[in-house]
Amino acid sequence: MLAERIDARVDPHKPHLARLIRIDPMVKDHRLFQLRFEDPKLNDEFTHKPGQFVMLSVLGVGEIPVSLCSSPSRKGIMELMVRKVGRVTSALYALRENDFVGIRGPYGNGFPVDDMKGKDLVIVAGGLGTAPLRGLLWYCLDNRAEFGKIALLYGSRSTKDMLFRSEMESLLNRDDIQCLLSVEKLDDEEKDTWRGYTGLVTDLFRHLGEIGEDAYAAVCGPPVMYKYVLEELLNKGFDKNRILMSLERRMKCGIGKCAHCAIGYHSSVGYRYVCIHGPIFTYWDATNLPEMI
Amino acid sequence: MSKPRVGIFGLTSCAGDQLAILNCEDELLDIIGAVDLKSFVMAQSDNEEKEFDVAFVEGAVVTEENEEKLREVREKSAILVAIGTCACWGGIPASANGIERVELYRQVYDTEEDYFKCGRTVLPLKEIVRVDLSVPGCPIEKDQIIAAVGSLLHGVSPVLPTYAVCTECRFKENRCLLVKDDLLCCGPITLAGCGARCPSHGLPCKGCRGPVEEPNAASEFDILKEKGYTRHDLEKAFRTFAYSIEIPERA
Amino acid sequence: MVARTIPSHANIRLLAKKNLGDLLEVLGRWGTVYAPVEKQPDVYTFAETTDLSAIALGYLRTALPPKRFMYPPEERLYNFTLSKGFEEPPQSEDRQILFGVHPCDIHAFSILDLVFAGPYPEPRYFKRRRRTAIIGLDCLPDVNCFCYSMDTDSVERGFDLFLTDIGEDYFVRVGSSWGEEVVRACKDLFTGLKEGSIEEYKRRADARSRMFESHVEMSDMPQIMELEFSNPLWEELGEKCLSCGSCSIVCPTCYCYDIIDQFDLKGDSGSRTRRWDSCLFKEFAQVAGFNFRQDRSTRVKLRYYHKQIAFVEEYGRSSCVGCGRCIETCPAKINIIEVLNEIRGKKVMSHAG
Repeated sequence: MLAERIDARVDPHKPHLARLIRIDPMVKDHRLFQLRFEDPKLNDEFTHKPGQFVMLSVLGVGEIPVSLCSSPSRKGIMELMVRKVGRVTSALYALRENDFVGIRGPYGNGFPVDDMKGKDLVIVAGGLGTAPLRGLLWYCLDNRAEFGKIALLYGSRSTKDMLFRSEMESLLNRDDIQCLLSVEKLDDEEKDTWRGYTGLVTDLFRHLGEIGEDAYAAVCGPPVMYKYVLEELLNKGFDKNRILMSLERRMKCGIGKCAHCAIGYHSSVGYRYVCIHGPIFTYWDATNLPEMI
Repeated sequence: MSKPRVGIFGLTSCAGDQLAILNCEDELLDIIGAVDLKSFVMAQSDNEEKEFDVAFVEGAVVTEENEEKLREVREKSAILVAIGTCACWGGIPASANGIERVELYRQVYDTEEDYFKCGRTVLPLKEIVRVDLSVPGCPIEKDQIIAAVGSLLHGVSPVLPTYAVCTECRFKENRCLLVKDDLLCCGPITLAGCGARCPSHGLPCKGCRGPVEEPNAASEFDILKEKGYTRHDLEKAFRTFAYSIEIPERA
Repeated sequence: MVARTIPSHANIRLLAKKNLGDLLEVLGRWGTVYAPVEKQPDVYTFAETTDLSAIALGYLRTALPPKRFMYPPEERLYNFTLSKGFEEPPQSEDRQILFGVHPCDIHAFSILDLVFAGPYPEPRYFKRRRRTAIIGLDCLPDVNCFCYSMDTDSVERGFDLFLTDIGEDYFVRVGSSWGEEVVRACKDLFTGLKEGSIEEYKRRADARSRMFESHVEMSDMPQIMELEFSNPLWEELGEKCLSCGSCSIVCPTCYCYDIIDQFDLKGDSGSRTRRWDSCLFKEFAQVAGFNFRQDRSTRVKLRYYHKQIAFVEEYGRSSCVGCGRCIETCPAKINIIEVLNEIRGKKVMSHAG
């Protein structure tokens, strides 16, 4: 009987205590939290794939999934970008440096970085969409030789809404990545200094250089962005299987049990839990999962 | 952590919710110990009506004086919690809405005079001021008020059930009074949290905790119509505690 | 007719019905026995008892399925303090014995096993599973039973002992080493097969399979449901559904859960609780600022698609065991037998009143 064979000694629900070692306010209602486990062994052991997430507990309030926005290539650093949107995130914002939270994970499939090696990569981010993509970006840049051409297309409403602005602008100085930034509205005082474009993120595609046939694209942003960005990518000749996106759903477990994040059904893709089968899905998945985006 | 300054107030109601707080016998000392109780007219003298971190307000707004008091408390309080179904939904007092008042005065007091100055439309708190948390019930449930206090000590709202009484009734393995006994049970559209107390004693749910968000009153009406109940029966049942429930007509 | 000898490896015994009370009493020494009792008119539940006169041997279905003995409706996962983190409360190690479990509910346990295993096995469930003995009992169907269609009307494994009524005796199949231990310890209560026992067992099995009034053709169901994704029926069901969650609460294989954190009054401590959830609840797919399943119809549909397609794809079978509890329970009379038949294009109405 299956029940007798299962090794269930580890409790997958139990969070580990982690300390908020640094809290950086970013743009309005966005903060970057740097964390460290209390148990030093966990800090050494913890590793993840770009695109994975953790379950973050604010003790006494609740637990939510949050994308890891740091890169596994920067060992010992765990960074989470959290937007203040609801009950748990508001409670997180009330915590101070050195306060405890609970962390378990990492969970989810993450980006297929091994398959992506040797190929060109276009990262398209809008708004808070930078959070799951930032880890991928730095993973690729830190292992630069293993990837083909890399381009970043990042659009935000204004320079004040740009996340990781100085980090992103510093990429403009590198010649191993094509960094294209845009804002929908440019403030007057920045007219002379802004090194990006004005317009929508989709407008950046016309500046995108030559891209290999088997290139990958990684997309994350607000729902309204997808339709147009995906269209641009298809026009550029991207294979639907190589357009990757990160999804967000309600999750209570992160481990394929509580069923809140269930999506879709189509025989060619199947039924999926965002937590264990995702959060990274291909555009092909999305085409066949009627409930996905 | 400094203790939050708390006030507990009553507008028009039976005061049963304030009594329910006092009835938290085992936890009462913990509650009182965790907060700085500035005002609780029902339970203490020397009340201080300055500023409150949290105000718990019971009762519906029935008189102009009630409204004035509510606005004053709202002004002075960072967080306002509506306690009890009267405060959350209007409760029994609001069941008078829609009935000619003079007729009611005559029936109840044998006079046509608005003796208590209660001629206005009876309203729940949220219709007049911002309400940060609603803890319904007639009266409120002890575990919910304890959960509310426990969470509010940390500045967060508690997670209270948002599903219907049926869910808790199934947890209890009760005989379904609606399906098996054809009784007019409001369980499917009434907010849980009571542990299905009445159905557990063989009494149909009266809806005393107010409706769930998006109650499917039309479907419940269809179910009951088939059992011989009329629209009037339903309106009477649904609106005893929450005057505002609509039973949409089926297209 | 030539008398046959029963091969010794066939782990089968007879239990004279008059010995059942004694068996229950013995079982009570091995652990806490839970057996079906009628708690209210026509409402059955597994309750702690070894008193045969209190047990409803002819019960059809309990209000809640026995899954609650492995996976309680509400359970405290952890206590926490702000400085020390989460700590799991101790769990009982005592054996519990479920007496009188029907085949559909035994199948349901095998299905829950699959779910709670997976890449992250759930220790609380499996701990309880391992300290729970299951004594199965056969049953006769009513109009809401469709286990025959779901291939769960009989069981080959998943029990310690399984009792089938063959007249004066129970035909007892031994399904585990613990079951055999019980038989060995109660030598006086069990006997070997008598002449005609096997014939009577087969005769009754045949008769039982002919008693099913409700049928659902399950072949190709996933493909058919996929084609019927936009069938207006889902909208109609959304209009009827009360979102009361009753169907999923009484389902022996539903496993969705919610997790609720709560501070206590001490100021630095509290608890994390797990509670059965339902995909019919409005908040089921609610995230801050957006609800992925705002319409009731999408939630009703999810329930059907999860059980009848998704599960088939993931585990090779539907997660519905045909126990009929959801049919009996739904105030809006949403009937899974009718829904599945309608989806197949067969307008077969049930015989239920």
